[in-house]
Amino acid sequence: MANVQTTDRKKLWGGAAEPFMASYGKVMMWFFLVSDCFSFSGLLITYGSFRFSNPTWPDPNQVFNAMPFMHSKVPLGFVSIMTFILILSSVFVVRAVQEGKMMNRKGVVMWMIGAILGGAAFLGCQAWEWTHLIQHGMTLHTPIHYELADGTVFHGPKLFGQLFFLITGFHGFHVLTGVIINILVTYYAAKGVYEKRGHYEMIEKVGLYWHFVDLVWVFVFLLFYLI
Amino acid sequence: MSGHSLTPEEYKSGKKAVYSTTVKLTLITIAEVALALAWSHLFPGSGKLLLNLLLVGMGLLKAFWIMGEFMHLKYETRDFVLSILVPVLLLLWFIVALLYDSSYWLNIRNVFAID
Repeated sequence: MANVQTTDRKKLWGGAAEPFMASYGKVMMWFFLVSDCFSFSGLLITYGSFRFSNPTWPDPNQVFNAMPFMHSKVPLGFVSIMTFILILSSVFVVRAVQEGKMMNRKGVVMWMIGAILGGAAFLGCQAWEWTHLIQHGMTLHTPIHYELADGTVFHGPKLFGQLFFLITGFHGFHVLTGVIINILVTYYAAKGVYEKRGHYEMIEKVGLYWHFVDLVWVFVFLLFYLI
Repeated sequence: MSGHSLTPEEYKSGKKAVYSTTVKLTLITIAEVALALAWSHLFPGSGKLLLNLLLVGMGLLKAFWIMGEFMHLKYETRDFVLSILVPVLLLLWFIVALLYDSSYWLNIRNVFAID
């Protein structure tokens, strides 16, 4: 029996309260994210297979070239800004987690407010982009169309708009819930709930969800805007 | 469990790792966009297969950095990392199966010219 108990505890889970040397809450958040990853993968792989099976597909450089307050066309300009905002927002949460480990309440709240603003800015950008596309004729039941260099008008499949609104909408919904949860934990952090508890692990768990939203955007960005 | 759980050195190196990952993510995103925009001018008529493979590779690299550094997966135990990544590998078969199916549909659409 003595031999069993001296097994390297650093590598194995001994059956104590912390599986994998990470807290129970963090492990379960990860497993939730794995399941959410399957939801998004289902949608994105479906998009990929529809796209591959269609001989004609809209050119993203032609579809996503509008920029607010500008009349000239900037292909992929606006979405690059959105991507950067989301990355920065993710970085702010990592900084909040680090300040939490130092028990610095003010630091946590400050970085979390930055992350919330980033998330809200991303949602605002997405609202602008959707409005622009809908005004230019791309809806769930009317196909995307744009003028080509030779003056003819290209009409894409309706499927493009449908998949675009479904998938960016599902992602935007995740961003929205992420922002709401971030506001909630920032409020608790500011009130000193986590300080009294002795650790800021809640910020870490919520942060995992927020990074996952950023992670999904990497692939939405890749499949819709770049390829 | 109260008090600091990071030494000042760990805090400093952690901060540095986060900022260097931020710079890496930003640079690779700029490279992705530049490549997507310039490809047809740089290599006219070369097709998009190589570009798409490059972009997917860069996207996976970004995902790897976000999971490793931001989501702290690099610092978890090996068994935990495996229990997350092994189920995700099932997706490979999903991709292969659906792309195989769509190549069949693409063929049908090209041969019979239907939408």
